[in-house]
Amino acid sequence: MSAIGLRLTGSRHVLPGFRLSLAFTLFYLTGIVLIPLLALLLRPFSLGLAGFWTEIATPRVLASLRLSFGMALLAAAIDAVFGFIIAWVLVRYRFPGKRILDAVIDLPFALPTAVAGIALSTLYAPNGWIGAPLAEYGIRIAYTPWGVLVAMTFIGLPFTVRTLEPVLGELGLDVEEAAATLGATRLQTIARVVLPSLLPALLTGAAMAFARGVGEYGSIIFIAGNIPAVSEIAPLLIVTKLEQFDYAGAAAIGVVMLAASFVMLLALNGLQSWAAKRQ
Amino acid sequence: MFLTVDSVTKKFERFPALNGASFVAPQGGFVSLLGPSGSGKTTLLRILGGLEFADSGSVRFADLNWLAMPARTRNAGFVFQHYALFKHMTVAENIAFGLKVRPRPQRPSRSEITARVRELLALVQLPGLEDRYPSQLSGGQRQRVALARALAIEPRMLLLDEPFGALDAKVRKELRADLRRIHDHAGVTTVFVTHDQEEAFAVADLVAVMKDGRIEQYGAPAEVRRNPKTVFVSEFLSV
Amino acid sequence: MSGFSQHHAGRRPTDDPLWLKLLLGTLAIAFIAVLLLLPLLLVFKEAFAQGAGAFWAAITEADALAAVRLSLTAAAIAVPLNTLFGIAAAWSIAKFDFPGKTFLVTLIDLPFSVSPVVSGLIYVLVFGLQGWLGPWTSSHDIHILFALPGIVLATIFVTFPFVARELIPLMSDQGRDEEEAAATLGASGLATFLRVTLPNIKWGLLYSVLLCNARALGEFGAVSVVSGHIRGQTDTMPLHVELLYNNYDYVGAFAVSALLALLALLTLVLKSLLEWRFADELAAAHRH
Repeated sequence: MSAIGLRLTGSRHVLPGFRLSLAFTLFYLTGIVLIPLLALLLRPFSLGLAGFWTEIATPRVLASLRLSFGMALLAAAIDAVFGFIIAWVLVRYRFPGKRILDAVIDLPFALPTAVAGIALSTLYAPNGWIGAPLAEYGIRIAYTPWGVLVAMTFIGLPFTVRTLEPVLGELGLDVEEAAATLGATRLQTIARVVLPSLLPALLTGAAMAFARGVGEYGSIIFIAGNIPAVSEIAPLLIVTKLEQFDYAGAAAIGVVMLAASFVMLLALNGLQSWAAKRQ
Repeated sequence: MFLTVDSVTKKFERFPALNGASFVAPQGGFVSLLGPSGSGKTTLLRILGGLEFADSGSVRFADLNWLAMPARTRNAGFVFQHYALFKHMTVAENIAFGLKVRPRPQRPSRSEITARVRELLALVQLPGLEDRYPSQLSGGQRQRVALARALAIEPRMLLLDEPFGALDAKVRKELRADLRRIHDHAGVTTVFVTHDQEEAFAVADLVAVMKDGRIEQYGAPAEVRRNPKTVFVSEFLSV
Repeated sequence: MSGFSQHHAGRRPTDDPLWLKLLLGTLAIAFIAVLLLLPLLLVFKEAFAQGAGAFWAAITEADALAAVRLSLTAAAIAVPLNTLFGIAAAWSIAKFDFPGKTFLVTLIDLPFSVSPVVSGLIYVLVFGLQGWLGPWTSSHDIHILFALPGIVLATIFVTFPFVARELIPLMSDQGRDEEEAAATLGASGLATFLRVTLPNIKWGLLYSVLLCNARALGEFGAVSVVSGHIRGQTDTMPLHVELLYNNYDYVGAFAVSALLALLALLTLVLKSLLEWRFADELAAAHRH
């Protein structure tokens, strides 16, 4: 009896294994994450702050950043719109094969990016299943910036759909019934009652799709064209600079992208707490 | 002018929720549908509100074939047990909703809407809370807002689904009295669902005791209490 | 009184009108079919474009097999290590209180928000010739980059959050009661973990290991940066796909891709099955 009592009150932690597990965790994180990240953060500054700035401010680098961020934003917007429609259909409607359709949504998540990359590139090339008919109308997708957009839309879709689905599922029908008894048409109800309450989830999903699109590499480089200052995404520029042993230049772009990821993380956290407050 | 409910039935899958419910109430009356859970009272209320469809039977009110009208056009204010307030809108926006969604020709001007909201908030004894959000209100306050919202559309009929069920006893009594006062002031035909017989008897002119989808007895509270017609009614009321 | 009125209002106020259902349904299905399904179908169509014989030859070719071996080896090292990490991290975070927990969790989430290329870049900056440890490792004839260790490191970085992120909320929700009970009954740490915690987390563990594995085999960007692309030696399956495609060997590229796509489909199927099963278990676990 007293032995157990001693165990419970004597040691700092009731459960065993704290020191061991925490030590292992910290060791792992330090070695795998912190030290390499530190290498990244410090490298550009070997050139000094001014040097860092010159690295970034070249037309080619700026164009690649514009392309990556700009197209990711557009892709996130498209994914938000269609993600909403798809989530709505999957949650609210009943039809055969719904389960399969729901599972397919995760495909961009599960499929290796290189596989997606070559498939999309072949599909939208001027002689591809989709590229050929579009070429008749003078629309070119592969090897242009629009290829980048298609690839980013592809990989971002699961984020918007999966973030919306649970929220839609939990939305009680009573507010929609209330709106109906107050005289609103179905469209008015969706626009004024349903959509606003989905806004946090919509934005969160779009932000996640955006973050993924900005950093994406494998799905995009095959379909993109990769012409410097035109259709060259920032991650590709990093790889190119590494191949030329321009470590500082590559690290500079890497730091910019890391900073963007960090800002996105903060924004996402902010969104979560905003959403929680409204409940 | 009467509210005439005639032999309304409703099945959910195979469960018979309503087995031929009928009653007649005068315009401006206050009817309570009273019964245990599963008695069909909420189903009947929702049918009156247009949120469910009857399988058979008819309802006539204000000379209209009530069941043929979509919920949107019935102008029947509905108050839900869990308020169903629009969480992303302020109190004022919630109350004004029914006015704002009207087609342009029938929509009041912005100043008219603001005035009406203020009026209604005073009526439900919540003056000055226009800019609060539902999450900042207590349960009793939320229900008052829900009531004000339903009244904003100047409803022909007011339907309440166990509106005080989620609130504590003291708040219940206050709201009950306020509801009666508002009903008397506005003269709107009111149907009120509850499982609490004390509540039903305190607030209604006419009580319909329901069981298994039928109205076992219907009449003025005192009358029903004095002369229970069936074993169920006398047992239900004696508890 | 009038009999049953046939002039129904039609549909419940919370149902969408038919035209809207058809519109949204068509848009949703068309979008998914064109954007998601067509590429998948294309992979298989191109893989067999010259018949099953050519497909088989492509995936049994020496360099392809080497790539498969390399991918499997890297995953076989990375996944168990990450699982161990996930368990350790979840144990310390979920069952104990200490300052800096939120920071730790954010750190664990980091690889998910970082570009795969940056994930590889950081290791080049440490182990590359101009990197911190580069000169030291090369003078000791240790090869990290352009060899298996580098590939394993990059793979570990991009996949280590999977198990941790799944187990941390799961074990947090399950609380400490059962483990504390075991402690009062005299169980050691390991015994407590094996007999009390593990059974409670088994589905979450399985699910996250599955995802971790799929990602480990499929990772491209991070591995691409550290591998050196030496055909037959440091090419993983995704890198080999890139190589074949850039050399216009489309059947070869899509053949190897088909293998990866099959793995992806298998992962999706298993994931769905586990979600089904797991949802019940999870609900039961949360009720504790």
